[in-house]
Amino acid sequence: MLPHLNAAYTLAHYLTRDANEAEDATQEAILRAVRYIHTLRSDADARAWLLAIVRRECYGGRQQRVATVAFDDVPELQLVDQSAQPDAEAGRSMLQRRVREAIAALPDGLRETLILRELQQCTYDEIATITEVPLGTVMSRLSRARARLAGLLSNFVTFEEEYG
Amino acid sequence: MTSQPPRSMGETIRDALPTYEAPEALRAWARAQAAQGTQATPLIPRVSNLRNLRRLAYAAGLVVAASTGWMGNRYFTAGSDGAKAERVLVASLVDTHVRSLMADHLTDVLSSDHHTVKPWFAGKVAFAPFVPELVAQGFPLVGGRVEVVSGHTAAALVYGRGLHKINLFIWPASAADAGPPTAWYNGYSLVHWTDRGLSYWAVTDAAASELNAFERAYQAAAAA
Repeated sequence: MLPHLNAAYTLAHYLTRDANEAEDATQEAILRAVRYIHTLRSDADARAWLLAIVRRECYGGRQQRVATVAFDDVPELQLVDQSAQPDAEAGRSMLQRRVREAIAALPDGLRETLILRELQQCTYDEIATITEVPLGTVMSRLSRARARLAGLLSNFVTFEEEYG
Repeated sequence: MTSQPPRSMGETIRDALPTYEAPEALRAWARAQAAQGTQATPLIPRVSNLRNLRRLAYAAGLVVAASTGWMGNRYFTAGSDGAKAERVLVASLVDTHVRSLMADHLTDVLSSDHHTVKPWFAGKVAFAPFVPELVAQGFPLVGGRVEVVSGHTAAALVYGRGLHKINLFIWPASAADAGPPTAWYNGYSLVHWTDRGLSYWAVTDAAASELNAFERAYQAAAAA
């Protein structure tokens, strides 16, 4: 089986926020990966290496189609609490939806860092490699992403203090 | 709701965000791409090539299939020029099959009615492919299209088998494409036969036994 294909496709989904674009980007990334396989230094790096290629394809492909929105131009998302007294299950799915909305509204740099860390469970070093920024930037982005998310969701959920 | 106990942000995120499974067509295509990469390496790889081969397999993920795929390529490549040409043909048949499974490439004439499919080929290929209904045998007709495979202009008939698809490629037989009766390549099964001047290649990712059943069903219908 192709062990990193789902990870690649999932990352593409969250970076492009579009199923078709995600598929295109994954396809381009596979072509590139096959062509540049000799640049892979060790098997242990394979996943991060492939994700880095996917990320570049996602952003490269999108730049050709739509001008990217500048980092600080993204408006703050305002979530309105419309729920009166939801039962537990409805509350859970409502929270899930709000988390998705909040993450979709994060700027690219914060969103990709958060997704790679929390969903793909990459190490900081891997994230630094994949997103092509220094380790310190990864850590500051991660903490900003978490703070932003906690703020967006503060009406609905309280998060534990998390380190690392 | 703020009265609820604090939650882990990581768990909350993982709970809310789905991970996505790559569509089957994308997976099959990726598998074929990786296989083509391995195929480009020499017959007896040098150590460095073997390392690249292994990395390629790992990166695209064909950990198990690569070793068997490579062995397969080796068997196909060993031997005469005829065997080599045949290997190329088998590889391009499988490529064509895989490509056809990607969205919207499967059929140009989409019909389960052989009275629609057969006339569609008139004027597109210089022979009249036999298009039987095999639904009673468990192989519903899906449609057809024209393909060029290794220089042959072929009629491609598509039959279903459960969730699998079978591509049957048909072109006028020549002495050169005698070919083996069965072949496999990267997990795909192929059967080949010639009948009344036409050469047939059937390709599928379904089990080889299904393909043999398909061949028998098709030939029985053709003989009837």
